[in-house]
Amino acid sequence: MRKVGILLAALSIFGVAAPALAHHGFDTEYDANKKVKLEGVVTQVSWTNPHMRVYIDVTGPDGKVTNWNMELTSPNTIRRQGWGPDDLKAGDRVIFEGFGGKVVESRGSLQSIMKKSDMKPLFGPGGPDAAQPVKQ
Amino acid sequence: MRKLLVITVTLAALTVMLQAQGRGGRGGRGDAPGRGDGREAQGGVLTDNGGIRYINPGSPTIPDAEINSHPIPRMPDGHVDLTGPWVGGGSNGDIERDGGLKPGELPLQPWAKEVRDKRLSKDEPYTACLPMSVPRVNPYPWKFVYGYTSEGLTHMYVLHETGDAGAHRVVYMDGRPHARNWVNNWWGHSIGRWEGDTLVIDTVGYNDKFWFDSRGTPHTEQLHTIERWTRTSWGRIENDFTLEDPGALTKPVKLHFTGRLLRPDRQTGKADLMEFICLEDNEYGQAAQIKVGTGTDGKK
Repeated sequence: MRKVGILLAALSIFGVAAPALAHHGFDTEYDANKKVKLEGVVTQVSWTNPHMRVYIDVTGPDGKVTNWNMELTSPNTIRRQGWGPDDLKAGDRVIFEGFGGKVVESRGSLQSIMKKSDMKPLFGPGGPDAAQPVKQ
Repeated sequence: MRKLLVITVTLAALTVMLQAQGRGGRGGRGDAPGRGDGREAQGGVLTDNGGIRYINPGSPTIPDAEINSHPIPRMPDGHVDLTGPWVGGGSNGDIERDGGLKPGELPLQPWAKEVRDKRLSKDEPYTACLPMSVPRVNPYPWKFVYGYTSEGLTHMYVLHETGDAGAHRVVYMDGRPHARNWVNNWWGHSIGRWEGDTLVIDTVGYNDKFWFDSRGTPHTEQLHTIERWTRTSWGRIENDFTLEDPGALTKPVKLHFTGRLLRPDRQTGKADLMEFICLEDNEYGQAAQIKVGTGTDGKK
Protein backbone atom coordinates (compact mmCIF):
# COMPACT_ATOMS: atom_id res chain seq x y z
CA MET A 1 0.00 0.00 0.00
CA ARG A 2 2.83 2.34 0.84
CA LYS A 3 4.36 1.56 -2.54
CA VAL A 4 1.11 2.61 -4.17
CA GLY A 5 1.20 5.79 -2.17
CA ILE A 6 4.73 6.53 -3.29
CA LEU A 7 3.78 5.79 -6.90
CA LEU A 8 0.76 8.07 -6.73
CA ALA A 9 2.85 10.83 -5.21
CA ALA A 10 5.39 10.50 -8.00
CA LEU A 11 2.66 10.50 -10.63
CA SER A 12 1.22 13.61 -9.08
CA ILE A 13 4.57 15.38 -9.34
CA PHE A 14 4.91 14.22 -12.93
CA GLY A 15 1.51 15.56 -13.85
CA VAL A 16 2.42 19.03 -12.72
CA ALA A 17 5.94 19.02 -14.14
CA ALA A 18 5.30 17.74 -17.66
CA PRO A 19 3.99 20.92 -19.31
CA ALA A 20 6.87 22.96 -17.96
CA LEU A 21 9.34 20.68 -19.72
CA ALA A 22 7.72 20.97 -23.13
CA HIS A 23 9.91 22.86 -25.60
CA HIS A 24 7.08 24.28 -27.68
CA GLY A 25 3.58 23.20 -27.17
CA PHE A 26 0.01 23.33 -26.39
CA ASP A 27 0.58 25.45 -23.32
CA THR A 28 1.07 28.44 -25.60
CA GLU A 29 -2.62 29.08 -25.05
CA TYR A 30 -3.95 26.90 -22.27
CA ASP A 31 -3.07 26.41 -18.64
CA ALA A 32 -2.59 22.86 -17.37
CA ASN A 33 -3.30 24.07 -13.87
CA LYS A 34 -6.74 25.36 -14.84
CA LYS A 35 -8.50 22.03 -15.23
CA VAL A 36 -12.27 22.52 -15.17
CA LYS A 37 -15.28 20.24 -14.99
CA LEU A 38 -18.50 22.16 -15.40
CA GLU A 39 -22.17 21.83 -16.21
CA GLY A 40 -23.96 24.23 -18.48
CA VAL A 41 -26.26 24.84 -21.41
CA VAL A 42 -24.96 24.95 -24.97
CA THR A 43 -25.60 28.28 -26.65
CA GLN A 44 -23.88 27.55 -29.96
CA VAL A 45 -21.95 24.80 -31.73
CA SER A 46 -19.66 26.37 -34.34
CA TRP A 47 -18.64 23.95 -37.08
CA THR A 48 -16.06 26.46 -38.20
CA ASN A 49 -12.48 26.36 -39.50
CA PRO A 50 -9.81 26.05 -38.56
CA HIS A 51 -11.18 24.55 -35.33
CA MET A 52 -14.64 23.81 -33.94
CA ARG A 53 -15.92 25.62 -30.89
CA VAL A 54 -18.72 24.89 -28.46
CA TYR A 55 -20.12 27.84 -26.51
CA ILE A 56 -21.69 26.96 -23.16
CA ASP A 57 -23.44 29.09 -20.56
CA VAL A 58 -22.32 28.12 -17.05
CA THR A 59 -24.05 29.55 -14.00
CA GLY A 60 -21.71 30.13 -11.07
CA PRO A 61 -22.51 29.74 -7.37
CA ASP A 62 -23.26 33.46 -7.23
CA GLY A 63 -25.76 33.21 -10.06
CA LYS A 64 -23.46 34.90 -12.56
CA VAL A 65 -23.57 33.33 -16.03
CA THR A 66 -20.32 32.92 -17.95
CA ASN A 67 -20.29 31.87 -21.59
CA TRP A 68 -17.40 29.41 -22.09
CA ASN A 69 -15.76 29.18 -25.53
CA MET A 70 -14.34 25.66 -25.78
CA GLU A 71 -12.03 24.64 -28.66
CA LEU A 72 -11.81 21.26 -30.41
CA THR A 73 -10.01 20.17 -33.54
CA SER A 74 -11.19 20.88 -37.10
CA PRO A 75 -14.84 20.22 -38.01
CA ASN A 76 -13.68 17.93 -40.84
CA THR A 77 -11.89 15.68 -38.36
CA ILE A 78 -15.04 15.38 -36.26
CA ARG A 79 -17.22 14.82 -39.35
CA ARG A 80 -14.95 11.98 -40.48
CA GLN A 81 -15.66 10.21 -37.21
CA GLY A 82 -19.38 10.23 -37.95
CA TRP A 83 -20.60 13.27 -36.00
CA GLY A 84 -22.77 16.11 -37.26
CA PRO A 85 -24.94 19.06 -36.26
CA ASP A 86 -27.76 16.79 -35.06
CA ASP A 87 -25.60 15.38 -32.28
CA LEU A 88 -25.24 18.54 -30.16
CA LYS A 89 -27.43 21.61 -30.37
CA ALA A 90 -28.06 24.89 -28.62
CA GLY A 91 -30.19 24.26 -25.56
CA ASP A 92 -28.62 20.91 -24.69
CA ARG A 93 -27.51 20.65 -21.07
CA VAL A 94 -23.98 19.27 -20.96
CA ILE A 95 -21.21 18.27 -18.62
CA PHE A 96 -17.79 19.10 -19.97
CA GLU A 97 -14.13 19.01 -18.99
CA GLY A 98 -11.17 20.95 -20.27
CA PHE A 99 -8.48 23.46 -19.50
CA GLY A 100 -8.90 27.20 -19.11
CA GLY A 101 -7.08 29.78 -21.19
CA LYS A 102 -3.87 31.26 -19.84
CA VAL A 103 -5.29 34.76 -19.70
CA VAL A 104 -8.96 34.45 -20.66
CA GLU A 105 -9.97 31.51 -18.51
CA SER A 106 -13.34 30.97 -20.18
CA ARG A 107 -11.62 30.37 -23.51
CA GLY A 108 -10.79 26.75 -22.95
CA SER A 109 -9.55 23.55 -24.51
CA LEU A 110 -12.31 20.94 -24.58
CA GLN A 111 -11.24 17.57 -23.23
CA SER A 112 -14.64 15.88 -23.09
CA ILE A 113 -18.29 16.75 -23.41
CA MET A 114 -21.52 14.79 -22.98
CA LYS A 115 -25.21 15.57 -22.80
CA LYS A 116 -26.55 15.19 -19.31
CA SER A 117 -29.53 13.30 -20.73
CA ASP A 118 -27.49 10.28 -21.83
CA MET A 119 -23.93 10.85 -20.53
CA LYS A 120 -22.36 9.53 -23.75
CA PRO A 121 -19.06 11.17 -24.78
CA LEU A 122 -19.36 13.23 -27.96
CA PHE A 123 -16.99 13.83 -30.88
CA GLY A 124 -14.58 10.95 -30.31
CA PRO A 125 -13.97 8.00 -32.63
CA GLY A 126 -17.07 6.08 -33.70
CA GLY A 127 -19.87 8.63 -34.01
CA PRO A 128 -23.45 7.67 -34.95
CA ASP A 129 -22.71 7.67 -38.68
CA ALA A 130 -19.64 5.48 -38.23
CA ALA A 131 -21.47 2.44 -36.90
CA GLN A 132 -21.38 0.46 -40.14
CA PRO A 133 -18.05 0.39 -41.93
CA VAL A 134 -18.20 0.35 -45.70
CA LYS A 135 -15.83 -1.25 -48.17
CA GLN A 136 -13.97 0.84 -50.69
CA MET B 1 16.21 0.16 0.61
CA ARG B 2 13.11 -1.37 -1.00
CA LYS B 3 11.40 2.00 -0.80
CA LEU B 4 14.36 3.57 -2.59
CA LEU B 5 14.14 0.91 -5.28
CA VAL B 6 10.43 1.56 -5.79
CA ILE B 7 11.02 5.30 -6.09
CA THR B 8 13.89 4.78 -8.53
CA VAL B 9 11.89 2.46 -10.76
CA THR B 10 8.90 4.77 -10.64
CA LEU B 11 10.92 7.83 -11.58
CA ALA B 12 12.61 5.92 -14.40
CA ALA B 13 9.24 4.92 -15.78
CA LEU B 14 8.02 8.48 -15.53
CA THR B 15 11.08 9.74 -17.34
CA VAL B 16 10.35 7.40 -20.23
CA MET B 17 6.73 8.57 -20.31
CA LEU B 18 7.82 12.18 -20.23
CA GLN B 19 10.25 11.69 -23.09
CA ALA B 20 7.57 9.91 -25.09
CA GLN B 21 5.24 12.85 -24.64
CA GLY B 22 7.95 15.35 -25.41
CA ARG B 23 8.50 13.74 -28.80
CA GLY B 24 4.96 14.52 -29.72
CA GLY B 25 5.49 18.02 -30.97
CA ARG B 26 2.43 19.93 -31.95
CA GLY B 27 0.95 21.77 -34.81
CA GLY B 28 0.57 25.40 -33.94
CA ARG B 29 -3.16 25.59 -33.61
CA GLY B 30 -3.75 22.42 -31.67
CA ASP B 31 -3.36 19.93 -34.44
CA ALA B 32 -2.16 16.44 -33.70
CA PRO B 33 1.51 15.89 -33.01
CA GLY B 34 3.49 14.89 -36.02
CA ARG B 35 5.72 11.94 -36.73
CA GLY B 36 5.58 12.30 -40.45
CA ASP B 37 3.62 9.13 -41.08
CA GLY B 38 0.15 10.13 -39.99
CA ARG B 39 0.30 7.41 -37.36
CA GLU B 40 -0.64 9.88 -34.68
CA ALA B 41 -3.97 10.34 -36.38
CA GLN B 42 -5.29 6.91 -35.52
CA GLY B 43 -8.38 7.66 -33.48
CA GLY B 44 -8.60 8.37 -29.81
CA VAL B 45 -8.14 11.55 -27.91
CA LEU B 46 -4.61 12.74 -28.41
CA THR B 47 -2.07 13.99 -25.95
CA ASP B 48 0.20 16.81 -26.96
CA ASN B 49 3.72 17.35 -25.76
CA GLY B 50 2.51 19.37 -22.82
CA GLY B 51 0.54 16.42 -21.54
CA ILE B 52 -2.78 18.15 -22.05
CA ARG B 53 -5.60 16.22 -23.65
CA TYR B 54 -8.19 17.64 -25.97
CA ILE B 55 -10.81 16.27 -28.34
CA ASN B 56 -9.04 15.37 -31.56
CA PRO B 57 -9.79 11.90 -32.89
CA GLY B 58 -7.52 12.48 -35.88
CA SER B 59 -7.94 11.68 -39.55
CA PRO B 60 -8.88 7.98 -39.85
CA THR B 61 -6.50 5.94 -42.03
CA ILE B 62 -6.17 2.38 -43.30
CA PRO B 63 -4.59 0.20 -40.58
CA ASP B 64 -1.45 -1.83 -41.20
CA ALA B 65 -3.44 -5.08 -41.41
CA GLU B 66 -5.38 -3.82 -44.45
CA ILE B 67 -2.71 -2.13 -46.54
CA ASN B 68 -2.60 -5.01 -49.02
CA SER B 69 -6.34 -5.69 -49.07
CA HIS B 70 -6.59 -4.17 -52.56
CA PRO B 71 -4.16 -4.09 -55.49
CA ILE B 72 -2.24 -0.90 -56.19
CA PRO B 73 -4.49 0.93 -58.68
CA ARG B 74 -3.40 2.30 -62.03
CA MET B 75 -4.59 5.15 -64.22
CA PRO B 76 -6.08 4.42 -67.67
CA ASP B 77 -2.73 5.32 -69.29
CA GLY B 78 -0.87 2.82 -67.12
CA HIS B 79 0.72 5.20 -64.61
CA VAL B 80 0.47 4.08 -61.02
CA ASP B 81 -2.35 5.90 -59.20
CA LEU B 82 -0.84 7.98 -56.40
CA THR B 83 -4.02 9.97 -55.80
CA GLY B 84 -4.76 9.07 -52.17
CA PRO B 85 -5.93 11.04 -50.16
CA TRP B 86 -3.02 10.52 -47.80
CA VAL B 87 -2.38 11.44 -44.21
CA GLY B 88 1.24 12.08 -43.30
CA GLY B 89 4.19 11.64 -45.62
CA GLY B 90 6.15 14.66 -44.45
CA SER B 91 7.41 16.55 -41.44
CA ASN B 92 5.26 18.30 -38.86
CA GLY B 93 6.47 18.38 -35.27
CA ASP B 94 10.22 17.89 -35.89
CA ILE B 95 11.69 17.23 -39.34
CA GLU B 96 14.75 15.58 -37.84
CA ARG B 97 12.74 13.01 -35.91
CA ASP B 98 9.87 12.71 -38.39
CA GLY B 99 12.37 12.04 -41.19
CA GLY B 100 14.00 9.17 -39.35
CA LEU B 101 17.12 10.87 -37.99
CA LYS B 102 18.45 10.71 -34.46
CA PRO B 103 18.66 13.88 -32.36
CA GLY B 104 21.47 16.06 -33.67
CA GLU B 105 21.83 14.25 -37.01
CA LEU B 106 20.21 16.98 -39.10
CA PRO B 107 23.36 18.83 -40.29
CA LEU B 108 22.25 22.35 -39.44
CA GLN B 109 24.74 25.18 -39.59
CA PRO B 110 25.25 26.98 -36.25
CA TRP B 111 23.09 29.96 -37.20
CA ALA B 112 20.25 27.65 -38.19
CA LYS B 113 20.44 25.79 -34.89
CA GLU B 114 20.33 29.10 -33.08
CA VAL B 115 17.27 30.23 -35.02
CA ARG B 116 15.52 26.91 -34.37
CA ASP B 117 16.18 27.18 -30.66
CA LYS B 118 14.88 30.74 -30.46
CA ARG B 119 11.68 30.24 -32.42
CA LEU B 120 8.43 29.70 -30.55
CA SER B 121 5.62 27.53 -31.87
CA LYS B 122 3.16 30.39 -31.47
CA ASP B 123 4.99 32.19 -34.28
CA GLU B 124 4.59 29.45 -36.86
CA PRO B 125 3.60 31.08 -40.15
CA TYR B 126 0.93 28.48 -40.78
CA THR B 127 -0.89 29.45 -37.62
CA ALA B 128 -1.69 32.63 -39.55
CA CYS B 129 -3.05 30.51 -42.43
CA LEU B 130 0.12 30.73 -44.51
CA PRO B 131 1.38 27.68 -46.46
CA MET B 132 3.40 24.94 -44.80
CA SER B 133 5.26 24.07 -48.02
CA VAL B 134 7.61 21.11 -48.56
CA PRO B 135 8.00 18.61 -46.97
CA ARG B 136 5.59 19.57 -44.25
CA VAL B 137 2.13 18.07 -43.82
CA ASN B 138 -0.12 18.54 -40.85
CA PRO B 139 -2.43 15.70 -39.79
CA TYR B 140 -5.10 16.58 -42.33
CA PRO B 141 -5.41 14.75 -45.66
CA TRP B 142 -3.82 15.78 -48.94
CA LYS B 143 -3.82 14.24 -52.43
CA PHE B 144 -2.18 14.16 -55.82
CA VAL B 145 -4.39 15.21 -58.74
CA TYR B 146 -3.35 14.14 -62.24
CA GLY B 147 -3.67 16.94 -64.78
CA TYR B 148 -4.27 15.46 -68.22
CA THR B 149 -4.52 17.57 -71.36
CA SER B 150 -4.52 16.71 -75.05
CA GLU B 151 -0.75 16.31 -74.65
CA GLY B 152 -1.06 13.71 -71.92
CA LEU B 153 -0.10 14.11 -68.28
CA THR B 154 1.29 17.65 -68.32
CA HIS B 155 0.74 18.68 -64.70
CA MET B 156 0.47 17.08 -61.31
CA TYR B 157 -1.25 19.06 -58.57
CA VAL B 158 -0.88 18.58 -54.83
CA LEU B 159 -3.96 19.60 -52.88
CA HIS B 160 -3.97 19.95 -49.10
CA GLU B 161 -7.23 19.98 -47.21
CA THR B 162 -6.09 22.77 -44.97
CA GLY B 163 -6.18 26.12 -46.64
CA ASP B 164 -3.20 27.10 -44.58
CA ALA B 165 -1.17 24.53 -46.48
CA GLY B 166 -1.72 26.59 -49.62
CA ALA B 167 -4.47 26.35 -52.20
CA HIS B 168 -2.60 24.06 -54.56
CA ARG B 169 0.91 23.16 -55.59
CA VAL B 170 1.81 22.70 -59.26
CA VAL B 171 4.31 20.12 -60.51
CA TYR B 172 5.13 20.47 -64.19
CA MET B 173 5.22 17.07 -65.89
CA ASP B 174 5.69 18.30 -69.46
CA GLY B 175 9.45 18.15 -69.55
CA ARG B 176 10.18 21.82 -69.08
CA PRO B 177 13.32 22.83 -67.16
CA HIS B 178 13.33 24.95 -64.01
CA ALA B 179 12.28 28.55 -64.61
CA ARG B 180 14.83 31.31 -65.07
CA ASN B 181 14.67 34.71 -63.39
CA TRP B 182 12.21 33.22 -60.91
CA VAL B 183 10.62 35.12 -58.04
CA ASN B 184 11.11 32.87 -55.01
CA ASN B 185 7.83 31.87 -53.40
CA TRP B 186 6.18 29.52 -50.93
CA TRP B 187 6.03 26.39 -53.13
CA GLY B 188 9.00 27.08 -55.38
CA HIS B 189 9.20 25.75 -58.93
CA SER B 190 8.56 22.01 -59.24
CA ILE B 191 9.27 19.74 -62.19
CA GLY B 192 8.34 16.07 -62.11
CA ARG B 193 9.12 12.87 -63.97
CA TRP B 194 8.46 9.16 -63.65
CA GLU B 195 11.19 6.68 -62.83
CA GLY B 196 9.21 3.49 -63.25
CA ASP B 197 6.36 3.73 -60.76
CA THR B 198 8.13 6.39 -58.70
CA LEU B 199 7.16 10.04 -59.10
CA VAL B 200 10.26 12.21 -58.75
CA ILE B 201 9.68 15.90 -57.97
CA ASP B 202 12.58 18.35 -58.12
CA THR B 203 11.92 21.77 -56.61
CA VAL B 204 13.93 24.99 -56.32
CA GLY B 205 12.97 28.65 -55.97
CA TYR B 206 11.48 28.49 -52.48
CA ASN B 207 11.27 31.53 -50.24
CA ASP B 208 12.70 31.26 -46.73
CA LYS B 209 9.50 32.14 -44.85
CA PHE B 210 8.02 28.76 -43.97
CA TRP B 211 9.17 26.43 -41.22
CA PHE B 212 9.89 22.74 -41.74
CA ASP B 213 8.21 21.93 -38.42
CA SER B 214 6.65 23.42 -35.32
CA ARG B 215 10.10 23.20 -33.74
CA GLY B 216 11.09 26.05 -36.03
CA THR B 217 13.72 24.38 -38.21
CA PRO B 218 14.74 27.03 -40.78
CA HIS B 219 16.10 27.03 -44.34
CA THR B 220 17.26 29.56 -46.92
CA GLU B 221 16.33 30.42 -50.50
CA GLN B 222 19.08 28.02 -51.60
CA LEU B 223 16.78 25.16 -50.63
CA HIS B 224 16.56 22.34 -53.17
CA THR B 225 14.32 19.35 -52.54
CA ILE B 226 13.95 16.04 -54.35
CA GLU B 227 10.91 13.94 -53.47
CA ARG B 228 10.64 10.34 -54.62
CA TRP B 229 7.05 9.14 -54.11
CA THR B 230 6.38 5.39 -54.36
CA ARG B 231 3.09 3.66 -53.58
CA THR B 232 4.35 0.48 -52.00
CA SER B 233 0.90 -0.93 -51.24
CA TRP B 234 -2.76 0.03 -51.55
CA GLY B 235 -2.61 1.65 -48.14
CA ARG B 236 0.83 3.31 -48.01
CA ILE B 237 2.98 5.76 -49.93
CA GLU B 238 6.67 6.33 -49.23
CA ASN B 239 8.52 9.61 -49.65
CA ASP B 240 12.29 9.30 -50.01
CA PHE B 241 13.29 12.88 -49.54
CA THR B 242 16.58 14.61 -50.29
CA LEU B 243 17.15 17.95 -48.61
CA GLU B 244 19.86 20.28 -49.89
CA ASP B 245 20.45 23.78 -48.60
CA PRO B 246 24.04 25.06 -48.60
CA GLY B 247 22.77 28.15 -46.79
CA ALA B 248 21.44 26.27 -43.76
CA LEU B 249 22.91 22.75 -43.86
CA THR B 250 26.53 21.64 -43.80
CA LYS B 251 25.73 18.85 -46.28
CA PRO B 252 22.72 17.32 -48.08
CA VAL B 253 20.65 14.89 -46.06
CA LYS B 254 18.23 12.08 -46.92
CA LEU B 255 14.99 11.70 -44.98
CA HIS B 256 12.12 9.25 -45.21
CA PHE B 257 8.41 9.69 -44.59
CA THR B 258 5.36 7.43 -44.93
CA GLY B 259 1.85 8.47 -45.88
CA ARG B 260 -1.24 6.45 -44.89
CA LEU B 261 -4.34 6.14 -47.06
CA LEU B 262 -7.36 8.02 -45.71
CA ARG B 263 -10.17 5.70 -44.65
CA PRO B 264 -13.29 5.89 -46.83
CA ASP B 265 -16.16 7.97 -45.50
CA ARG B 266 -18.67 5.81 -43.63
CA GLN B 267 -21.68 7.20 -45.45
CA THR B 268 -20.40 7.39 -49.02
CA GLY B 269 -17.74 4.70 -49.15
CA LYS B 270 -15.39 7.23 -50.73
CA ALA B 271 -12.46 9.14 -49.25
CA ASP B 272 -11.90 12.72 -50.28
CA LEU B 273 -10.86 16.14 -49.11
CA MET B 274 -13.36 18.45 -47.46
CA GLU B 275 -13.78 22.21 -47.42
CA PHE B 276 -11.41 24.04 -45.10
CA ILE B 277 -11.41 27.84 -44.97
CA CYS B 278 -8.57 28.69 -42.65
CA LEU B 279 -9.45 32.34 -42.11
CA GLU B 280 -13.08 31.63 -41.29
CA ASP B 281 -12.62 31.80 -37.53
CA ASN B 282 -8.95 31.63 -36.61
CA GLU B 283 -8.89 32.49 -32.91
CA TYR B 284 -5.49 30.98 -32.18
CA GLY B 285 -3.74 32.91 -29.42
CA GLN B 286 -6.75 34.74 -28.03
CA ALA B 287 -7.02 32.56 -24.93
CA ALA B 288 -3.54 33.73 -24.00
CA GLN B 289 -3.92 37.22 -25.45
CA ILE B 290 -0.83 36.77 -27.62
CA LYS B 291 -0.05 37.74 -31.18
CA VAL B 292 0.73 34.67 -33.22
CA GLY B 293 1.82 33.65 -36.66
CA THR B 294 4.51 36.25 -37.21
CA GLY B 295 7.37 33.85 -37.77
CA THR B 296 8.04 34.58 -41.44
CA ASP B 297 11.54 35.64 -40.55
CA GLY B 298 13.91 34.08 -43.04
CA LYS B 299 17.67 34.50 -42.81
CA LYS B 300 18.53 38.17 -43.20
